[in-house]
Amino acid sequence: MSGKNNMTVDEKMATVKIKIDKEAHITVKKEFCKKCTTRTCLIICTAENYKWDEERVELIFNYEGCLECGACRLICPEGAIDWSYPKQGCGVKFRFG
Amino acid sequence: MEKTTCIIVGAGPAGSACALSLARKGIETVLLERGRTPGEKNVSSFVLFIKELKRLVPECMDELELERNIVRSDQIILSDDDVKTITSFNYKHIRNPVTFSAFRRKFDAWFAKKASMAGAELITGMTVTDLIIDNGRVIGVKVGDEELYADVVVGADGYHSKVAERSGLNPVLDPGQCLLSVKEVLNLPAEVINDRFQLTDGLGAELGLWNYDVNNFKSGTGTLYTNTDSISIAAFASVADLKNKNMKLHAYLEKFKQHPYINALIKDGTLREYQAHILSNGGRIAPEKLYGDGVLLCGEAGAIMDTMSGMGVPTCIVSGMMAAETIEMAVKKRDFSAGTLKNYLKYLDSTSLLDMVYESSKVGEYWDGAGKDEMPDDIKAVADCYNKWWDVDYMSKDYYPLMANLFFKIGKHFMPKILRWPLGAAIKITSLYSKTCEKIKSKIRSRYYEWKKQYDG
Repeated sequence: MSGKNNMTVDEKMATVKIKIDKEAHITVKKEFCKKCTTRTCLIICTAENYKWDEERVELIFNYEGCLECGACRLICPEGAIDWSYPKQGCGVKFRFG
Repeated sequence: MEKTTCIIVGAGPAGSACALSLARKGIETVLLERGRTPGEKNVSSFVLFIKELKRLVPECMDELELERNIVRSDQIILSDDDVKTITSFNYKHIRNPVTFSAFRRKFDAWFAKKASMAGAELITGMTVTDLIIDNGRVIGVKVGDEELYADVVVGADGYHSKVAERSGLNPVLDPGQCLLSVKEVLNLPAEVINDRFQLTDGLGAELGLWNYDVNNFKSGTGTLYTNTDSISIAAFASVADLKNKNMKLHAYLEKFKQHPYINALIKDGTLREYQAHILSNGGRIAPEKLYGDGVLLCGEAGAIMDTMSGMGVPTCIVSGMMAAETIEMAVKKRDFSAGTLKNYLKYLDSTSLLDMVYESSKVGEYWDGAGKDEMPDDIKAVADCYNKWWDVDYMSKDYYPLMANLFFKIGKHFMPKILRWPLGAAIKITSLYSKTCEKIKSKIRSRYYEWKKQYDG
């Protein structure tokens, strides 16, 4: 917890309690991402889970830090992101929702 | 084969209201929730209105753990170098309190427990992965490898509804039809909050944040409200708008937080929790898509959400109660086909829910329309409307003209000047007459009835 202004999203995410699922609830068809010019998922994700790796030229993502808003699923222009709710009791646990 | 009468997917306000009503009618009900406890997946983004809840659970005030009774509402129009604010007080709500700030984790858990105590079977940690469909008729749900069968399945599973998707009622979600929200809960001592917002213990304030950066970003709005020893601040925007403007919503929330006016209110607050959620823009699902063979949709799953007022919980509760009435009728007839479940619309129509949601969705369209950066001069009128809005009762049908009025007063700042006064005059006249003349009232509603004919005829 921090009182300073301009916390990064990663610092903010440290306040969220998440039970990590062994199985990923997000899958991305990465070959589609290479053709993608907009990469809206990088902007829309409120947890900034999607990042573009310039060296490896591929989309990297971290399903473990997902806030489960599901916006990425709606906006992917290539339809490459398959997002569903984490299984049986896993995932985010808001204490002050 | 395990079979029950009714399976409800999702133990939010809609699911729990439906389960509670069904259990009281003695109908066998299973309530499934994907979280380990109900409410842990949910995020509130506005004041909680419990008027409708009080009808369903009269003793709720004594049992619920609520934060502050919201008695003041400030509507604030922000620009980079100016602030206009209008404050309305709602002290009548102290005598008959219906507006509260609350944490959904406690609220939803209490509500689901209430349903389970009445006799519904609550099972948590159950993520429904698919429906079991036989000959186009929903006969049960799949949870991983497990199969559960029922006469009727109620989808109360929120925006990304598996029930709506797999039953074919709403298979594809449109990014233009939803709002994304991010919220921060900031720790601040209760005395500091009391000082800054001029409150006493137990009383709270709500701030609606409008128009900020509207030139770049049309659909962005925000809200701020006080909890006992914390402040919740949230930003909203349509997903399509975020995409078009390449705007990060959390960056927009930061902009709100750094505005001098807001900054003074939340200064030194430490972050308690960071949250995000998605909600529908309201009313975009056609009414004939709220029911099918062996399936009903409630609350957010059926986009029954009054976006403009921000009231999701009361609309969900009312739709859940009406779904329960429908199922009771179906149980008596022993017929769970779409033909019987169609009565859901009649029950919904006995409340003002569909009218309000439909009106609200049209306001959403204006957000997507043209925007102009203007500081409106008549925000007093806007605030007056807000004030009345707090008295809206979804169970009665009298508030339609009020909604039309409000819709115009906020919407007009976003529409071309040439349209303003004719539209304004039209709405003014219709709302004036409607108060006295029942005949003309029905004329104003004719558009709604045209739309409604789709399922009546």
